[in-house]
Order: sequence, then structure tokens, then C-alpha cells
Amino acid sequence: MKKILSSVKDGTGFDIGLVLLPLVFLFVMSGLPLVYNVVMSFQEVDMFSLGSFARPFVGFKNYVDLFAQPETRPILFNTALFVSASIAGQFVIGFGLALFFWMNFPGASWLRGLFLVSWVMPGLVVGAIWNWILSGDFGVLNFFLRELGIIDGNIFWRSDPHYSLWAVVIANIWLGTSFNMILLSVGLSGIPKDLYEAAELDGATMLQRFFTITLPMMRSTIGAIVALGLIFTLQQFDLFAGITSGGPNNSSNVTQYWAWDLSFRQYDFAKGATISVLMIIFVMIASVVYVRSTRHEVRG
Amino acid sequence: MSEQIRNRLLLGVALVLAAIYLFPLYWMYVTALKTGSAMFATPPKFLPSDPQWSIYAYVWESRNMGRYLWNSLVIAVGAVSLIAVLGVGCAYVLARYRNVWIDVGLFLILMLQVLPASLMITPIFVGFSQVGLLETPRLAVVLAIAAKSMPFFVVLVRAAFMSVPMELEEAALVDGNSRIGAFFNIVLPLARNGILVSAILIFMQSFGEFVYSKSLIQAVELQPASVGLNTFMGPNTNEWNNIMAYATIYVTPVLAAFVLLQRRIVAGLTSGALK
Repeated sequence: MKKILSSVKDGTGFDIGLVLLPLVFLFVMSGLPLVYNVVMSFQEVDMFSLGSFARPFVGFKNYVDLFAQPETRPILFNTALFVSASIAGQFVIGFGLALFFWMNFPGASWLRGLFLVSWVMPGLVVGAIWNWILSGDFGVLNFFLRELGIIDGNIFWRSDPHYSLWAVVIANIWLGTSFNMILLSVGLSGIPKDLYEAAELDGATMLQRFFTITLPMMRSTIGAIVALGLIFTLQQFDLFAGITSGGPNNSSNVTQYWAWDLSFRQYDFAKGATISVLMIIFVMIASVVYVRSTRHEVRG
Repeated sequence: MSEQIRNRLLLGVALVLAAIYLFPLYWMYVTALKTGSAMFATPPKFLPSDPQWSIYAYVWESRNMGRYLWNSLVIAVGAVSLIAVLGVGCAYVLARYRNVWIDVGLFLILMLQVLPASLMITPIFVGFSQVGLLETPRLAVVLAIAAKSMPFFVVLVRAAFMSVPMELEEAALVDGNSRIGAFFNIVLPLARNGILVSAILIFMQSFGEFVYSKSLIQAVELQPASVGLNTFMGPNTNEWNNIMAYATIYVTPVLAAFVLLQRRIVAGLTSGALK
């Protein structure tokens, strides 16, 4: 007993204790729900059996039913579109801004940091602001687009099924661009300056320098950022709740909102769990890519 | 001279870009001050001609914002405390050693970081209701947020510990400090800034948390400001000046804290997310 105590105070026991406590907490609060989620996806769960652990097992019935539903395919397609459009927008604008702020000038780093306010704001507030900007008759975005001559009539962003998903995409691009920009700036500042000086002496144009030095040197950073983007866009929930609530008629619905909607609006917990299982597997595959792409840095 | 002109020009462009990017924020502040008719004017007014300052008091009273913000504060402080107590030691150990077990631990923690809250909420809700945690819904939300955000905190704080030279700790041990003593007297004070910044980031996230609170807290008097904002925004609302005033009151403290601590937050974030 004394040996254990002194080890906790002064040896490896100290380290093990420090790690074990949080790991147990995470296991109970994240690991168990994860397992429970899988279990529920094979059970019949309704309002009445919610409180009991013993529920009838139904095999793959939830999965089969899920894919038989007519809205499943469009929602999966929406998810793919939402994720790819958001990542593309955030990355391209973020990269452009990062390159611009890379040209050092007084105030550059402070102003660049200021962009990050979009990222620290509560998601629901961002949703509320964009909900108002995107409104059909009085929205300021429609006003700008009209003035610029891009559109003739107003676009009803939130209620027109052709645009509702894009309304959320626009808001999400705004939300995530600054985070992309900051991380890309870190990658850019890691490129040795003399590479560019040498290339300039050899007569390489700016575009050539970008494609032969900047992009290859940034490869692991870009990989990590795209993987992070995928993870973050699949976590996005607040904007859907704040702008379209998945409507009209599921035209802006995505899996992560649908899973919640099934459980907490339609009380179909089994289906909610089933979608969650599928999406969590997908997210975990993406995160393996992320961890691998930063692995050499993790080892320090 | 030409250097100066270039710098001025670039700064000018940067300011324009920032103005475009931050326009939604400006629009929130301006809309909150507009009268009902000015809000729906075409073309929209970009400067409030007749600012309605009384709107803040009105919204604060009528939406009972004091209670909502108090609940947000309770939840955020609870989550940050729990995460800090559990996460700091974990981050320290993960930074101090390099072996296979540490890699495995780090990998597990990074994997937990990616689980989307809206997909984990179904099993959490059912599980919590079965063990009776829904009786204390704010505690339930604190626990759920802590589990969700601790991995991120650990990754950030680990980066802070990595920058503390191990020699200092070894010297303290040689001088007769115990491990606990060296940890609290030498290592922790040196990593203090990194830990504080990470805690502030977690606080900002928890202060705006929505999906767990929306799903786990049924009682209106225990709901945080994010849920209150959500109930304020019906599908056919036209009270946009009031909603924007609510958003302004909710978000301004967060923005002020961010602008004050901006440099440190950005530094802490970039060292953690990519390394």
C-alpha cells in the first residue's frame, strides 16, 4: 500500500493516474454511448421501451427500412453536396486570403486574426444572422446581387427547394473560411524563403513558383485541412437549426440533422441511432486520414 | 518610399477584405438598432438614421435573457472546470513521453474529437434517461460537453506542455522535489498561458453550445441562451430587429474577449490543430 502511494506521489503511478482518470471518463461518456448506439440500431426502440434495456432485437431491419425510405437517397446526396461545396468554398477563399496576408505588411497578422471571430461565435447566432441576410424579400444579400446585376428577381433562399441547401452552404463557408485561412497561413510560414529566392533567380514566374514550390511544400498541411474540413462540416448542426431546419420538404436536410430530427422530433430513436452509426463510421475513416497526415508532427 | 506605398496599399486592400468578411456582424449590430419600418426599407439603410437604443432593455426584459445567459454561464463554467481538472494531467503525460502507448492514447483521443454531437446525442439521451441523469439536465449537458470537448482541449494543452523544456523539471527532481511538487511548482506555471487560452476557447464553444442543451433540457427555466434564441426564431418571424438585439447581447461579450485575447488564441489554436 505504501509502495503504491509513493508511486502515485513520485513515480509512474503519478503519470498513470493522471491519464487513467480522463480516459475512464471519456470511455464512460463517449465510448459507452458509441457502443450503445450500435446496439440500439439493431433494436426496436420506441417511446415505451425507451426506459428499459431489454428491447426486442430486430437484426438489420432498421438498416433495411432506412434504405427503403424515399428520402434517404436525396438526403445522402445533400450531405455529400453540402460537405464538398462547403470544403471547396472554405478552402479556396481561405487559401486566397492566406496568400494575400502572407505578403507581410504592418497589421497583417492582427487583421488576419480578426477574421476568426466568425469561428468563435455561437453557431446559432451565425445561423440567425444569415437567416436574416438571406431572407427573400428584405434580405440584404438579394439587394447586393440585384445591384450588381447578377439576378433580376429575388431569390427565396430559405424556402425555394433549389436554393435552400445553398443557403446553409453560404453560411457555412463564411463560418469556416477563417479557420482554413489561419491553418493555411501556418503552413505557408513553414516554407523556407530561400526556395523562392532561388526560383526567382532561375526566372520562374509567380504561377510557376506557386505550383512547383508552394503547393508541393504544403501537401501535408492541405491534406490535414481538407480532412479537418470534412470532420467539421459533418459536425455542422446549428446552421441547419438556425436557417432552414432541413426544409422545405427535406431539400436542405443532411444526415447529421436528420438523425437528430428522427430521434427528437419523430421519436424514432432506432432510426436515429442507425443513421448515426453509419455516419460515425464514415467520420472515423476521415479522421484516420487526418491523424495519418499529421502523424509525423504528432511524434514531434 | 515605395516600400511604404506598398504597405499602405496592401493594408488598404486588407481592410476592404476584412470589411466584406465582417459585414454580417455589422449587419447584426445595425439591424438591432432599426425601427420596424426601417428594417424592411428598400433599398436597405446601411446606417441607422434613428437608432433605437431602448431595444436592448426591451429584449432583455421580454425574453428573460438574464436567466438564459445565467444558464449558459453555468453550463460553460461547469464544462470548462471539469475539462480542465481532467484534461491538464492527461495532456501533460501525453506530452512528456514518447512510446507506443502514448501514440495509442493520442490516437484514441483524436478519434473521440471527431464524433459529431448531433449523431452522439441519441445514445446519450437514452442512456442518460435510463440512469436518471435527465433529472439534473444542466449537469447532463455539462458532462456531455466535457466528453465532447476534452479531446480538443487535451490536444491544445499538450502543445503547450511540449514547449516547456523537460530539463527544468528534471532539475527540480534532482533538487529533491517530488513528481507532484515538480508538476505543480515548475511545469504547470510555465504552461499556464497555453492552458488558459485553451480553457477560454473551450468556454466560448460551451457558451454557444446548442444541440445537447436543446435535446437534454426540457425545462425552459434551465435552458441556455442558444436554445432561447432558437425558440425566438419561428419560421415566419418578422421581429428581426429584436432577434438581432438578442444576438448582439449574447455574442458581444464573446467577441470582446476574443478581440482582447486574439493574438494568444490564434497562436494556441495553430500550435494545437496541426501539430
